[in-house]
Amino acid sequence: MPGVDHCLHEAMAIPGAVGASIVDYTTGFPVATTGAAPNSDHEAAAAGTADVVQAATSRSLFVSAIPHDLLEDLIITTAGGYHLLRIVQTDFDSRLVLYVWLDRVQGNLAMARRRMQTLAAELVAT
Amino acid sequence: MTPSKTAAPGRLLTQVAGERQTGALVVGGHPGGTVYVLEGRVIYAETPAAPGVGELLTSSGRLAARTWQNALDLGTSTARVGRLLVEQGHLTRGELELCVLGATYDAAYFVLSPAAAPVEFLGGATHWLGAVVHIDPSAVAREVRRRVRILDEIFPDPRVDTAAVSPATRAPRERVTLTAPQWELLVAADGQRTPADLAQLLGRAGFATIQELRRLAALGLIELPEVRGDAPEFVRLPRARGTAVDVRRPVSGVAAAAPVSGAASISGAAPVSGAASISAASVSGTAVASGAAPVSGAAPVSGAAPVSGAAPVSGAAASPALLSAASAASVSAATAASLSAASMSAATTSGTASVDGVPTVPVIGGNAVVGTLPPAPAEGADPARHTLADEGNANATVYRPPRLARRKPGAKLPKELAGEPPPVHQGTDEVLLKRIRTALRALR
Repeated sequence: MPGVDHCLHEAMAIPGAVGASIVDYTTGFPVATTGAAPNSDHEAAAAGTADVVQAATSRSLFVSAIPHDLLEDLIITTAGGYHLLRIVQTDFDSRLVLYVWLDRVQGNLAMARRRMQTLAAELVAT
Repeated sequence: MTPSKTAAPGRLLTQVAGERQTGALVVGGHPGGTVYVLEGRVIYAETPAAPGVGELLTSSGRLAARTWQNALDLGTSTARVGRLLVEQGHLTRGELELCVLGATYDAAYFVLSPAAAPVEFLGGATHWLGAVVHIDPSAVAREVRRRVRILDEIFPDPRVDTAAVSPATRAPRERVTLTAPQWELLVAADGQRTPADLAQLLGRAGFATIQELRRLAALGLIELPEVRGDAPEFVRLPRARGTAVDVRRPVSGVAAAAPVSGAASISGAAPVSGAASISAASVSGTAVASGAAPVSGAAPVSGAAPVSGAAPVSGAAASPALLSAASAASVSAATAASLSAASMSAATTSGTASVDGVPTVPVIGGNAVVGTLPPAPAEGADPARHTLADEGNANATVYRPPRLARRKPGAKLPKELAGEPPPVHQGTDEVLLKRIRTALRALR
């Protein structure tokens, strides 16, 4: 069933994925989590995710005045891995972001990014 | 059904979760709300301060209102509205789960954040949405505490959460930067709408709305409600003068202080006037169907379960419906008593005895003393005026303004008070008889 659990399970199936979660970016709360998180703390990672997304969206950085030029995803590279944040677009007000932590060595960044795109789309529309 | 008492809602939720119970935790106060628990895990929460799943889906345009209404009509009685929407293809499972999760955490904040509020747990009550998600209650409680901290960090004044929102007419700075949600709020704020109204109107989560409002208040873009200290009351209370005399309502000796709370008045009314009380409980439209089919499982106490179990199984306005049903049922209880006096007096939990066969009207007063008032006050004899000092000991702590006695129309005033009697109109009886005869002839 393509529910939230299924989506996270599929996200963990991305080669190199270490952890995944769905985070509400206004409150920084991880609505659903799976796998590992940086410092073994899903809640802190979610709070950090929320901060980053809000910093990116609140001042309309990098988005032009073209309509529907919305922020789609963010990629943060650290020595320990890639952190991909994909904003889930829902018609109703949900403010959610899909977060995947990818291992630096084993992860394929481009493929992971495309996979997350399809996952976020599948979650919302058939 | 546990009687309503003031307690910390979070603690009661933890207790319910520990015992792995199923039911609805109803919290009163403002805004109050309900948390639904299935076998110790939270499945849904709703509150008047935040839009529920239905409002979120319909106001955003994701679902047509008719689609939602159809799903409600089909699924409410069997508590599978969520599953119906997914099976019929109107909504994906992921969308439904995300929407329910968001709405649940959102409403849980309003329900569980007060430190103390009148709470009660209705065992066996379920929600018409069905169990779409199962959330660990400790996670909910932790999140609620965290949200309280978040709000305090942004702006520590809690009046922003409930007061009507009025934008500042003059910005405090030369240049102001707003996010899109903040803009929507300022545009929709008209000085009358409260944060709850704005959330419902815009189809946004209640907590997100008050978070943005606190940010706006911190930026100085919202006018804060003024603080009113303990101002002295400048209202002059009416004094008894002339024909209005102080009447001391006789308190029947049998009825000890029976705590007549809203819930008890429902349980008193339910066994007697079942149809009347259920129709009184259906103050909100969607409760009619749910009143007919009690979704609740085991009925704990006799008579109390069907109405109070069914009442929360209604639409989003569950909590105000319950509270207004309580007041409506108590009103209908008072009126129904005159019709079914004997059974009413037998069924009321206070056990008031009927005084010498006269139908008693149980007086549900704010002081939790149930007294009986004979239909006509003592006529002829001058009821003893009494000072406020010797009110019943139940009233000793509260200043009660003197009660005004009502004289039956046509009854003669006590001789000491009346002057000369008013002149009797001679033709009254004949005119009346003629009118009666005409009416009877018309009926024939």
